[in-house]
Amino acid sequence: MSEALEIMKWPFLACLLLPGILVYMGLHIVRRQIIFVDLALAQVAALGICLAILLGHDAHDWQTTAWSGCFTFVGAAILTLTRPSGKRVPQEALIGIVYVVAAASGFLLLSRSPEGNEELRRTMVGEILLVQPAEVLRTFGLFAGVGIVHFVFRRKFLLLSFAQEQGKTEGVQLWVWDFVFYMLFGIVVTSFVRMGGVLLIFSYLIIPAVCASILAAALRTQLIIGWTVATLSSVGGLYASYLFDLPTGAAIVSALGLVLLLTGVGRLVLVKLAP
Amino acid sequence: MTKQHVWILVLAMALCLQGAAAERKLSVVVTTPDFGAIAREIGGDRIEVAVLAQAAEDVHFVAPKPSYITKLSKADVLIEGGAELEIGWLPPLIEGARNTKIAAGQPGHVACAEGLTLLEVPTELDRSKGDIHAMGNPHYMTDPVNARHAAEKIAKALVVADPQNATLYQERLKAFSDRMDEKLAGWQKQLEPFRGRRVVAFHNSWPYFASRFGLKMDVFLEPKPGIPPSPAHLAEVVTTMKAENIRVIVVEPYQNRRTAEKVSAQSAASIVDFTQYPGGVKGTEAGYIELIDHLVTALATALSDSGGTGGNKE
Repeated sequence: MSEALEIMKWPFLACLLLPGILVYMGLHIVRRQIIFVDLALAQVAALGICLAILLGHDAHDWQTTAWSGCFTFVGAAILTLTRPSGKRVPQEALIGIVYVVAAASGFLLLSRSPEGNEELRRTMVGEILLVQPAEVLRTFGLFAGVGIVHFVFRRKFLLLSFAQEQGKTEGVQLWVWDFVFYMLFGIVVTSFVRMGGVLLIFSYLIIPAVCASILAAALRTQLIIGWTVATLSSVGGLYASYLFDLPTGAAIVSALGLVLLLTGVGRLVLVKLAP
Repeated sequence: MTKQHVWILVLAMALCLQGAAAERKLSVVVTTPDFGAIAREIGGDRIEVAVLAQAAEDVHFVAPKPSYITKLSKADVLIEGGAELEIGWLPPLIEGARNTKIAAGQPGHVACAEGLTLLEVPTELDRSKGDIHAMGNPHYMTDPVNARHAAEKIAKALVVADPQNATLYQERLKAFSDRMDEKLAGWQKQLEPFRGRRVVAFHNSWPYFASRFGLKMDVFLEPKPGIPPSPAHLAEVVTTMKAENIRVIVVEPYQNRRTAEKVSAQSAASIVDFTQYPGGVKGTEAGYIELIDHLVTALATALSDSGGTGGNKE
C-alpha cells in the first residue's frame, strides 16, 4: 500500500486537487445543456498542441501552451457568437461541428509529424500517471485563480447558466459574461488536457455533475455531491490502475462511469421503494 | 522514539536487507525483449528478468503503466538500448521510480549502445526529416555482432551487481558468444547467394541487419521515419520495386500489414513477417539466436522463391 502511494502520489494529488473546479464548471455546463462544449474546446486546445508539435516544439514547452491557449481563445469566441437565439440551427450542432473538425484537423497535422500517432493517443488519454509535481502545483495555482474569479463574480455566472430570463430583465450584458465564462473554461481545459487528455477532462466535467443533478436540485448540495463523486472515483480508479496495472486515465474514466451507474440504479430503487 | 532510535532502526533494516540480497535473485529490468533474452542467457536462474515493452509493441512508444514504475523501483540493474529508442517513455518512468541504483551514470544502468559505432548519425537535426535520432539509427540489435557486444555489457553489469556469481556470468557469456560466432558463419552462408539484393521495409529498422548480411534494405513504406505512408509515396515505392525487380517486403508486428499487402498486390512481391524482438513473430520465442535464425531462414526462402534480381545489377 505504501508503495502504491509512493508511485501514485502525484497522479493522486492531481486527481484530488484539480477536479474541484472542473466539477463546478460541469454543473454550469449540464445546466446550460451544452454538454459537448467541453469536448469541443478540449479538442480545439489539443489541436493547438498538435500544431505546436508540428512546428517543432515539445509538448511541455511554453510555446505549446501559448498555441493551445490561442486556439482555445478562438474556440471560445466561436462558441460565444453562436449562443442560441431561437434560430433553426441549434448550438449543439455547431459544437459538434467544432469538435469533429478540430479532431480531423489534428489528424491532418499530426500525419506530418514523426510522433503523430503517439501524440494523438496522448491527447485522448493523457499521461496522468507520469504527471510532474511542478505541473500539478502550477495547474492548481491557475485553477485556484479561476475559482476566485468565479467566486467573485458568481452572481453574474449563475444568472448566465441558471436564470437567463432573469438576467435579461436585469439588463446584464450576457454575451460579455458568456465570453468570460468560455475563456476561463478554456484556460482550465487547456491546462488539464495536457495532463489528463480529452477523455478524462470530459468525464470529470460531466459525470459528477450528472450524478449530482440526479440526486439534488440545490446548487450547494449538487456541488458537494459532485466533489464526493469525483474524489471517490479518483481514488477508486487510481487504486484499480495500480492493482490491476491498467492505464491510469482510462481507469479513472471507467470508475466515474461506474459511480454514475450506481447512482442511477440507486436512485431508481429509491424512487420505486418510496410510496 | 527519538531521532537516534530511528537512525539505528534504519541502519539495522539496511543491514538485514543486504543480508537478504545475497540470497535473493538479482532483479534485472530491461526495456525490450531482445535484451531480456540475452540477459536470461547470461544470468540464468540467478536473475529475475522483467521486460517492459511487449515483443509486438512499437518500442518507440510504450504506454506507461504503474507496474513499470514498481519494477524499476525494485530493480538492481536496468538494461536499455541507450540510442534514444526508448527516449519517449523511459526517462519519466526512471524518474518516477526514484531508484538510485539505476539512475543514469550508475553501474546498475546499462546502455548497450555504449562503445558501438551507430549508422546514420545525422549531421544536423531537423524534425522535418521525420523521427530522426541524434545518436544515429537505434535499431542496432538487428546485427548479431552488436548483440554480442550488448551481451558483454550486460555480463559486466551483472558481475558488478552480483560479484559472488561472477564466474557463472562470465562462463555463460562465453558460451553465448561462442554459439553466436558459430551461428553467424552459417547465417552469412545462408544469405550469401542474395548478396546485393534489395528488400523493402516498412520502417528503417534494418540497416544493421542488411549491412551484416550484404543486403540493401533502403526502400521504406514510410515516407519519412515515423510518418504514416501516404498514397503518393506508396505509388513511388511500387514504381521503384517494379523498376528494380524488388520482390520482398518485410513487415513488423506493430506495423500496418495492410499497407504492405496493398503494395505487394501491385508489385507481386511477397511479404515476410519480421521482428526485432524474440516473441514478436511465431517461432522466435526461444531467444535471440533463434530470432535471427528465423529471420535469416524466412528471408532466404522468400528471396529464393521470388527469383527476382532486385538490386543485383552492379
